[in-house]
Amino acid sequence: MATEHQARGANAVELVRVSKSFGPVLAVHELELAIRRGEVLTLLGPSGCGKTTVLNMIAGFETPSSGEIRIDGKSVTAVPPHLRSTGMVFQSYALFPHMNVFENVAFGLEMRRLAKGEIAAEVGRVLEMVKLAGLEGRRVRQLSGGQQQRVALARAIVIRPKVLLLDEPLSALDKNLRAEMQIELKELHGKTGLTTVFVTHDQGEALSLSDRIVVMDRGQIQQVSTPIELYRHPANSFVASFIGEINRLPPARCTLEGDAARFELGPSLKLEMQACRGLGAYHGRMVNLFVRPEHLTIADASERVHNRIKARVLTHVYQGTHTLVRVDAGELGMLQLRVPGGEVIEQAPVGSEIEVALNLDSAIILAD
Amino acid sequence: MSPGLATKLRAGLFWGAVAAILVYMTIPALVVLMTSFSPSELLEFPPSGLSLRWYARALTYPDFRNAFANGLIVTAFASTIALVVGAAFAYLVDRYSFAGRGVLEAILSSPLIVPHFTTGFGFLLLGARLGLSRSYAIVIAAHVVLVLPFVVRSVYVSLKNIDPRLERAAANLGASPARVLARVTLPLLLPGMAGGWLVAAVLSLTEFTASLYVTAERTQTLPVAMYGYIREYSDPTIAAISALLIIATTALMFAANQYLGLSRVLSIDGH
Amino acid sequence: MRQRPFFLAFLLPALLAAGLFLAALAFVLQYSLHAFIPGSLEVGGFTLDNFARVWRPIYLWVLLDTLVISLVTALATLVLSYPIAYALVRARRNSVRTLLVVLAITPLFTGEIVRTYAWILVLGSDGFLNSVLKGLGLISTPLALLYTRFGVIVALVQFSMPVMIILLATAIGHVDADCERAAANLGARPTTVFWRVTLPLTMPGIVSGTVVIFAWTMSAFSTPQLIGGGKVLMISNLVYLQGLSSFNFPFAAVLSLVALVLALGSLALIRPATRRLEAKVALT
Repeated sequence: MATEHQARGANAVELVRVSKSFGPVLAVHELELAIRRGEVLTLLGPSGCGKTTVLNMIAGFETPSSGEIRIDGKSVTAVPPHLRSTGMVFQSYALFPHMNVFENVAFGLEMRRLAKGEIAAEVGRVLEMVKLAGLEGRRVRQLSGGQQQRVALARAIVIRPKVLLLDEPLSALDKNLRAEMQIELKELHGKTGLTTVFVTHDQGEALSLSDRIVVMDRGQIQQVSTPIELYRHPANSFVASFIGEINRLPPARCTLEGDAARFELGPSLKLEMQACRGLGAYHGRMVNLFVRPEHLTIADASERVHNRIKARVLTHVYQGTHTLVRVDAGELGMLQLRVPGGEVIEQAPVGSEIEVALNLDSAIILAD
Repeated sequence: MSPGLATKLRAGLFWGAVAAILVYMTIPALVVLMTSFSPSELLEFPPSGLSLRWYARALTYPDFRNAFANGLIVTAFASTIALVVGAAFAYLVDRYSFAGRGVLEAILSSPLIVPHFTTGFGFLLLGARLGLSRSYAIVIAAHVVLVLPFVVRSVYVSLKNIDPRLERAAANLGASPARVLARVTLPLLLPGMAGGWLVAAVLSLTEFTASLYVTAERTQTLPVAMYGYIREYSDPTIAAISALLIIATTALMFAANQYLGLSRVLSIDGH
Repeated sequence: MRQRPFFLAFLLPALLAAGLFLAALAFVLQYSLHAFIPGSLEVGGFTLDNFARVWRPIYLWVLLDTLVISLVTALATLVLSYPIAYALVRARRNSVRTLLVVLAITPLFTGEIVRTYAWILVLGSDGFLNSVLKGLGLISTPLALLYTRFGVIVALVQFSMPVMIILLATAIGHVDADCERAAANLGARPTTVFWRVTLPLTMPGIVSGTVVIFAWTMSAFSTPQLIGGGKVLMISNLVYLQGLSSFNFPFAAVLSLVALVLALGSLALIRPATRRLEAKVALT
């Protein structure tokens, strides 16, 4: 088994310098990506970033303008979609309206000329997996949105594709169903072990579902990392702003003095940071500072804190487990704090003047 | 055979078939154009030269000139009357429900299904009974009935696309129903109405079968006059007139398409 | 009190138009029920003889011929129009689509006389087709295409294609392109995608389109008249012969009514079938 795995290579899909233009518009630019066997990879980015185009190119519905696509080590750039053995779940599910659930799921197996008995067994097995056992005879229009999605999933996984492709699979579902489906998708992946590629613009979804995330913007990859890496160490300002909530401070000039770093955001605004690690390259340069809302706190008057910023409370947004506090920090601009619980609503009411403790130890510092 | 090649071959075959079918569809018009410039009286392909003699003959032939004038009169009246009646009816259908609405809708759209010779023959008999048999009136009446469904369709589609809030806003600001109609609804409907009028005009100018029955020699329209000529002579004069008609109607349809997508007006879906 | 401004003003003209049309049809009915007086435009007393006359074999043959020609035309139109309609809907480049629309739809408006005459030029023994075939050395004597059923059908098919293309394009447009892609993704060759997905989903459009063309073709006149040249008779030509040649208005009236009933009847008959088909492929 291990040798077979090694012989096939660790990568299920490889994109080698893939570009795609539609007329004058360059949708994907010299993309390089290796998708590992069995992993769940998400293509994440704003609309128009090219993520759906990449998915379509893997499936074969779009041909790259240049570059190569390999599945299981073999080049498939010239192979038409029906011979690629990818399984796609479309955003609109694209279930066949004139067939019932069984016929929909069995379709791919029919194309592969499996015997009737085998088809029935496989369809039954997969419908069990997606918790739709017993609904074989239903017509598509009799199913709810969530059920339709499961049929679409079942239809794609029953053919044991080399890679499973999902185009914004949860976007049509309401909030509760979405949360439920996220868990189910993870369970499903656990059972099938299929290499899976998601496309989504919802970073929360990406963070919760993926082994790795590919952040894209305007046809180019910005960063490929695990969710935690992406959140903690975004590679550039785009990724930092795109993933999770973050406060972006005005650009500052960085000066290093021994172990400490000083950031000048304005003539009267200086922030300090002790024990900085590896900031040597930034000395004397302009940098962008990013701080997550959960790393900002309301400073106690007595607390010893490096950076105290005066701010006025604008709004509270109570979310049950925590409260989002928006403050006007003058030259620093608008800041958002994430404070556990709801006591802050009384402690720092709207309109009150507070001091924000800006701990830069967990800040993200980027030069772009 | 590599899969990529098979796909390309399949695509090639498909587009090849499409091209062949398109040739079949356009050959007649091209042949007409070719023939209209032929210098000879007899048919010859390819034509031995270029000549405008048939155009000259077509444009000066008295029967054609009179018929064309008749056609203009009939069409001008028929299209305009059909526009007024049809737009009003479309408004009714869109806004109000009343007893017998479905029946009236069915009757007014049935000229699409009833054979033109039945309609034409009927109007011939009707005209005879009303003492109008040699008049323009009966021809116009028949044409109105024949093009009405297209006008109603066109205006109805336009009406459906009007934001009802615009009219409500006008009423809210104090405009009487008549004012709302004149200052808000009609201006918004103008493109749809213009498109409908153009389609009606083209259909009326080119209508043949019903006109054959209701027109007399004095009132005959161009298609009817052309029919008479074809039965007697075989020179390419008709080709010249046909070429002119093809160009004129194509131009008019382009104009109609600018105002309203053609396929919506033409959705003859049975009922 | 319900407010209905303009109601009467807008209703009366429509009623008048409907009334005129019904009156015209009523006169056809009236004439069909009265005796023909040869040599006169006046008609005699009430009689059902005209209707009885329709059952004579020579007239029944014409009816049968009309039905057969209409059916063949409708089916041939379907087969030739589908690729064009499909290309029109699925074409990726706008220029291609515009070209297809222009070429396919605008002939509809040039009028039947022009189009029939054009086919005379193409099909005649000195016509375009024969000249090309002779020039290529494929034939030595011209093919007799005019005055044959074949010639009439060839012309009628080309007449009907624009309408069929519009109807089919609408139906094909309603097929989710993603369904076709899904089928391909699951392993279906393009031909399989067509037979298993596209065709079944467009079946309601196919059926209603074919019937519409069938009914429309039954009332065709100038094509059988000029291209058939008296050798190919459809109901319309019979009406013309009886009405405007023999001036037998009563019998012409009967034939007109028969044609009307056949046209309306075929459309009415197909409605339940179309409804059932539409229900089968509906997504909601």
